[in-house]
Amino acid sequence: MSKTRLRIAGGVVYDPANDGGADGGIRDVCIEDGRIVAELPRDAPKLDARGMVVMAGGVDIHSHIAGSSVNQGRRLLPEEHAADPAPAPPLADPDAIPRSGTGGTIPTTFTTGYRYAALGYTTAMEAAVAPLAARQAHAELDDTPIIDAGLFTLLGNDDYLLRQIAAGEAARARDYAAWVLSAAGGYAIKIVNPGGVERWKAGGRNVTGLDDAVGSGAVTPRRILETLADAANALELPHPVHIHCNNLGQAGNATTTLETMRALAGRRAHFTHLQFHSYGGERGKSWKSAAKEVIEHVNAHPEVSVDVGQVMFGPATTLTADAPVEYLLHASSGRRWVNVDVELETGCGIVPYSYKEQAAVASLQWAVGLELFLLAKDPWRVVLSTDHPNGGSFLSYPELIRLLMDRSHRDECLKRVNQKLVAGSALADGLAREYTLSEIATVTRAAPARLLGLKHKGHLGVGADADVTVYANDADRAKMFSTPRHVIKGGVLVVEEGQLRRAPTGRRLRVQPGYDRAVTRDLKRWFDGYACVSFENYPAAELGE
Amino acid sequence: MTKRVVEHATCLGCGCACDDITVVVDGDRIVEARNSCALGRAWFADGSVPRETRAGGKPVAPDVALGDAAKLLARAERPLVYLAPDISCETQRAAVAIADRLGALLDSPTGEIAAGILASQRRGRAGATLGEIRQRADLVVFWGVDPADRYPRYASRYAVDPAGLQAPDGRKSRRVVAVDVGPSRGAADADERVAIAPEHEVDALALMRAVVLGRAIGEDAVARVATGLATRMLHARYVALVHDAEPSPHGSPLHADRTEALIALAQALNGPARCALSSLRAGGNRSGADAVATWQTGFPFAVDFAGGYPRYRPHAGAAVLLARREIDVALLVGSPAGVPQAVAAALGQVTTIAIGPRASAAPFRPTVAIDTGVAGIHEGGTAFRMDDLALPLRPALSGPAVAADVVRALAARLMKGRS
Repeated sequence: MSKTRLRIAGGVVYDPANDGGADGGIRDVCIEDGRIVAELPRDAPKLDARGMVVMAGGVDIHSHIAGSSVNQGRRLLPEEHAADPAPAPPLADPDAIPRSGTGGTIPTTFTTGYRYAALGYTTAMEAAVAPLAARQAHAELDDTPIIDAGLFTLLGNDDYLLRQIAAGEAARARDYAAWVLSAAGGYAIKIVNPGGVERWKAGGRNVTGLDDAVGSGAVTPRRILETLADAANALELPHPVHIHCNNLGQAGNATTTLETMRALAGRRAHFTHLQFHSYGGERGKSWKSAAKEVIEHVNAHPEVSVDVGQVMFGPATTLTADAPVEYLLHASSGRRWVNVDVELETGCGIVPYSYKEQAAVASLQWAVGLELFLLAKDPWRVVLSTDHPNGGSFLSYPELIRLLMDRSHRDECLKRVNQKLVAGSALADGLAREYTLSEIATVTRAAPARLLGLKHKGHLGVGADADVTVYANDADRAKMFSTPRHVIKGGVLVVEEGQLRRAPTGRRLRVQPGYDRAVTRDLKRWFDGYACVSFENYPAAELGE
Repeated sequence: MTKRVVEHATCLGCGCACDDITVVVDGDRIVEARNSCALGRAWFADGSVPRETRAGGKPVAPDVALGDAAKLLARAERPLVYLAPDISCETQRAAVAIADRLGALLDSPTGEIAAGILASQRRGRAGATLGEIRQRADLVVFWGVDPADRYPRYASRYAVDPAGLQAPDGRKSRRVVAVDVGPSRGAADADERVAIAPEHEVDALALMRAVVLGRAIGEDAVARVATGLATRMLHARYVALVHDAEPSPHGSPLHADRTEALIALAQALNGPARCALSSLRAGGNRSGADAVATWQTGFPFAVDFAGGYPRYRPHAGAAVLLARREIDVALLVGSPAGVPQAVAAALGQVTTIAIGPRASAAPFRPTVAIDTGVAGIHEGGTAFRMDDLALPLRPALSGPAVAADVVRALAARLMKGRS
């Protein structure tokens, strides 16, 4: 197959960014030199897609696939790896060394790239990297083939930022954010439990609300959120600040989530794994779904976008910079637990987990995620994720798609789950909605690409990256989406007739916002006073001009 | 000749990976490694390394050596790829690819501390990067280790002396407790010293955990010591519990359950207080070998590719398979001098290809030896500190062949050789 030209002929094309969400029309998709082009000569190589469904390659807006905390998780799971061997694929390129690996909830790097591609995904964002640990994350991504990938840089519990907030230095905070994004080779600013991780490290406590003091009384979760949201927007980053709210996983946390959204009203912001932040009830006493109130707020506020963070039944590994949450999960479950405090920046907590249909809270979490999806008015702002591997593996996306597209299947599943906390929820009352293929194309590629500001991804218009997935149209949507027939990445046919055949190197997605160089003088002083890595050795990526 | 200076160099003399070294070069020799400790000075030395390529005991052209190495490996029935110290992560990554391609057993000196790694896989860990200990710790407990011996700047750079956010007066803001476990003495500079007999060590740790969890324990001598230590820890804000993860210099084998007991205690202290267990590791980017093996295979050491995919063989690693004479050809990448005694001795009994610093001087007389530079002295790239923090390397000298290039060239030959 030629790398340079390919006509994907006669497929039913779903391209919501360009077709306005129309039901798929039959047309050819033409590729030349890694891009989508309007037309090709008649003798260009052809891929017969008649009767098949054609979409842009999938874009994962939030996943944990590379970096020190992910690798700590890998090290913790030898039994999962033993149970899921991944022999090297029979690649067609003569020079590539096809690599074996292991799977489980946190696959090895090569296997991660191969499995994403085999799922029809061609872009993924690693959603939580401490700037200090960025060098490792980049090295792991260098060993993660095929997919284009970016890193979200963890800010919001970092000492230097908190100092600037305490001193009222908003401009310097913004310059610092720009510098640190460049130094870490990051793509977006990620906030995890603003202020809460610092409090955990300082004394084993967490914050409970937006106005708790974090060290200095002038520093609160609210101030951290405002400062970083304003910084991201002032720097005109392609993706706004990516927020993991306070109080993740707590009964009654919907109050905090809504308060956070109101605190940032009018500012562009992305709220991640919203499912984990949409619970009613009262901490330590009762649980219920608050999906309806949360999603109604999202529906009414166009500046807000979210990914759902669906929980899927089966094994998972909870893995987050929100270390105090993992402490609670360890304390309540007695499971294995990793905690790593990361100097001056953030934390890391890991607890292997399993969501069971028989369990009341897991069933509620499952239902809350589905309610968010089914009650969302705008698929361009409510996109698909499982917060891999926290809510479940990315390999469970096809089953999630089936749950969204097939009400009778969903209702069957609903009958099987523990009813204790689900009873009375919107889902139990009956939600008739079934996602269309066009809506699935929106929430799995077009919308995540748009929210990320990736203009050349998530669609099949002229000039877009030639990342294309071709599915056999199967009434069983789980089957259809788990085994695409063909996947093209950057114009290269990586999956051919359902077999992974090529594994080109993926590209790194990063930003280099401008900043006032004066900040580096102050940073150097701070490094000399507190850090235990040289200022000169800190950047993991070229800083640029 | 004028002197050159390389600033912010990272020293891999031990796992502290101090990255504040100023290396002064005169001509092609290092004349000074400013800020380094005695161990670091010995590691940098003058930077001279042999520059030979040998096959069958004779000097040969690099191309010939690579060809011979590829032939030997391609014919091997049960190959071993061993990641020795003093190579960068980039070299380690390329070497793991060869192990994968050959269906080899992959191992590293981490096999020596298998019990500790397995304990952390059963329980997890409560840890911190070294800088966080500097910022937070108000109680530092040196459990059977004086870092001055094998990690000379640990106390001055990280755990004890420097000021931190919650230790504004440095050493004065912290209490230091030395626990002497038999001949393994705690830090000399301690505010308090406690002795525990080696045969009571694991019991004492279990009893301390019981106290932390609020359980009543007995009143014998061990229980009294345990109660005293545990109470002090419970009253601290942030405890750094420091132990040596490497084999004891006294030759006394580590109790297999020691690390697990330390982990369990450190975890239990989180909640009532905060605690990080700091596991001291030796240098030469040993921690990098664990990290790379983990991200590429899912397992930190003792990985067997014989079935066509990685399998974990923590109890049948390089030392065991060499002793059983199951290995016929070994590819050693790194410094032969850093290979544990038992493995090094056994390598003399099999066909060995050595690629790394001072490979030609290996006591086990490799069939093929290709000298390369030392990562951090002659070669750049990435190396890990003992706390799994990746740091850049800033080479001061140009070396003989670059290890990563040699290993990649060998991999390319092995790929060409495939049918």
